[in-house]
Amino acid sequence: MRFHSDLKNIRTFAKLTAAFSTLEKLVWLRLSDETAHFTVVPDTGSQIWSTLPMDFLFENCTIQSAEPSNTINLELSLQPLHRALKSAQGSISASLRLTKKKGVPVLSMTITTNTKSSTSKFGNAPPPAAAPLKPPSSFDDPFGDVDEDAGGADQTHLETSLRREHEKIITQDIPIRVLHPDTVASTVQPSLQEPDVHIQLPPLLQLKSISDRFTKLALASGGGGGSASSKSPRLEISANMHGGLRVRIATETADISSAWTDLDNPQLDPAQLRVPIEEHPSTKFRDRGPDSWASIYVDGKDWSRVLSAGRLEGRVIACFCHNQSLVLYVYIPHYDDGAADDAVLTYHVQAYSA
Amino acid sequence: MAILTFTLSEEGVTAFRDALNCLSKFSEDVSIEARKDSFFLSTMNTSKSAYASFRFATNRFFGRYQYQATGQFQDKFYCSMYIRGLISLFRSRSGVESRGDVDKQTIIDRCDVAIEDGEGVKSRFIARIIFRNGLTATHRLPFEVSMPVHAKFNRQEALYHWSISSRTLKQLVDHFGPGTEYLEVNTDGDHVNFTCFSEKTISDDAVLKKPLHTSISVETDEFDDIDVEDKLQIVVSIKDIRAITQHAAITGNAIAARYSLPARPMQLSYASDAISCEFLIMTVGERGGNPAQRTKKVRKGAPSSNNHVPPHLEATSRRTSAAPSQTAAEIQRQQSEMPPPASSRQPPNPTPRLSAARASASRIGAFDFRPSQRPPPPTLRSDSLFVEDEAWEPVRDEDEDGDEDARLEWDHSADPVSGLVNRLMCPVANLETESLYFAHEPRR
Repeated sequence: MRFHSDLKNIRTFAKLTAAFSTLEKLVWLRLSDETAHFTVVPDTGSQIWSTLPMDFLFENCTIQSAEPSNTINLELSLQPLHRALKSAQGSISASLRLTKKKGVPVLSMTITTNTKSSTSKFGNAPPPAAAPLKPPSSFDDPFGDVDEDAGGADQTHLETSLRREHEKIITQDIPIRVLHPDTVASTVQPSLQEPDVHIQLPPLLQLKSISDRFTKLALASGGGGGSASSKSPRLEISANMHGGLRVRIATETADISSAWTDLDNPQLDPAQLRVPIEEHPSTKFRDRGPDSWASIYVDGKDWSRVLSAGRLEGRVIACFCHNQSLVLYVYIPHYDDGAADDAVLTYHVQAYSA
Repeated sequence: MAILTFTLSEEGVTAFRDALNCLSKFSEDVSIEARKDSFFLSTMNTSKSAYASFRFATNRFFGRYQYQATGQFQDKFYCSMYIRGLISLFRSRSGVESRGDVDKQTIIDRCDVAIEDGEGVKSRFIARIIFRNGLTATHRLPFEVSMPVHAKFNRQEALYHWSISSRTLKQLVDHFGPGTEYLEVNTDGDHVNFTCFSEKTISDDAVLKKPLHTSISVETDEFDDIDVEDKLQIVVSIKDIRAITQHAAITGNAIAARYSLPARPMQLSYASDAISCEFLIMTVGERGGNPAQRTKKVRKGAPSSNNHVPPHLEATSRRTSAAPSQTAAEIQRQQSEMPPPASSRQPPNPTPRLSAARASASRIGAFDFRPSQRPPPPTLRSDSLFVEDEAWEPVRDEDEDGDEDARLEWDHSADPVSGLVNRLMCPVANLETESLYFAHEPRR
């Protein structure tokens, strides 16, 4: 079994791992010639299934496996992976290699980098005044890492290089477990139904802060009432085919909802549908007018974790099956290559019927 | 009546807090030691494997500094305080640049400290904090009068050293993930390798809970100077290194490491305008096959050691590049009363010997330990950290004492590999009778 590849899109990779890790500590990575599957399946809660083209994150890739269709199944801990990717950010180059160290399989990341500023011209120089804007707090790194990029670039400009920059080789060994094909065979993606309503969500930061406020409100009032305080509040999410989205919380004492209008209900591609477009459920919902809502209940805390997908900065399409399921498609743009196709993450949101 | 009064400026408060924050990563208590012309903060961790000390230049660091010799504190004042209590005075309200204007109002403008003790006076550390907005807060903290415990470092023994920009070192340390305990430093030809690892045994099914294993290879050219035995592996606690580099990077000056062999202490030191910092941490490790082989590099264009000008903030680029060796020079100057290298076997001029004897004599009172403070039984043949026995010894001329020289030698028989954990628990330094440690620089 062999795997060796150079890394690209490291910033996106790091963001991916950060988004994954809000839901679960471990990720199942399935590598093959064409695709890289990242699958996050926590014991309870929402799942993420993604199929990324191999060249989205990897280049100059070698895979050799005895398994059918040349696949390698790995289970790895997200925290070390994320940490290693943070280390690789801003590096000259980075590569991944499947290897054994002291008899233990590891995914070894080799990073060539140089330190940003060897010697400060100003001695006790204060941090540059024009520090880049910090990301919104709710999308902060789940591991509490300080963004090592912050200020780094500015500082480099401020300081004259007093000595030759020396390259440093950093090796980050990420613990992994190689999974047998039988082990992963039992993990299957939940089936996808034709949605009643599909709608592009408003900026997730907006949606998240309102949802979180509702959740906290319900938690607070639940605690005051003394009953069901341990239970996580359920938010009702509804959408129609006329650009409308609602988030609602109902407690014993309060009933609050927020509504968005004029959102986009994207066109479906008839070529990819299993049914003729006229018979598609969403067409029926559209025809029934703006009062026809597809609704679902979600767990407030789990929903908040799902919405941290906003850090990926991509468009998000929500697909509602009324009273049955909610699936989010998160489109991840290429940072390095704007022309390339977006990669998609599929979030199967843990949902409850009314 | 106040034994000691001093004033901290706005920057002084910040520097003081940075030092306390760093010390708090080693221990819960800080020892304060003040003399007419010197002020120290120091601490030793509970396992006696790490020692940290900050020396403040009284004339440059403090806006005002007055030591009033009284009663039992004729010579110096010393006490021990709870660090968190002390930090909390300077924290939160001190304001960070990024905060809004509202918070700027509560920036500390300066801080007046008075330490009171003596007959019929309560032992209090009184800090009067004057905020930018005109508010004044007065805090009275209790303290315990106890002699500080100092670890000493034998510079002659430490044959190996390197120095590197503290910011570079911190950036390297930043690559290490959480969950690891040890940092190994070894040299291999043109490269110095820093490897971070964990010794925790993990069962096979929990293999994914293992921390990230990180190693960084740095060219020797990156160092200001380096002289280390090839293939020597030195292992220290990563937690201590993190604490040290974090503080060192604030000063931005070069950090120097001096050490000898595994199971002997490592000294890390750096200095800024008015503060010199020294850390002693215990090492473990393994020695390579060829002790004679050295990895060596001396920075070209380093100024001669008689350059005593410490680096200043406004240093030009050329002078900054020279700063590391200047710093070293300054340390040298501070320790100018020290005996020359043991190899010379020449007695130094009489003054240092006298002062050394006096320094050690004055320290005898420090070794009245509570049972918990007794050092763990020495795992090495080296002597314990404390000079309990020495107190009974007559004052003698150590520099001409053959036995003393013998004691300075490396313990070749030490088995440096086994029992990493136990080793790191052993005392950071043995107190030799020579006054090699700058904390007890003789009074002038």
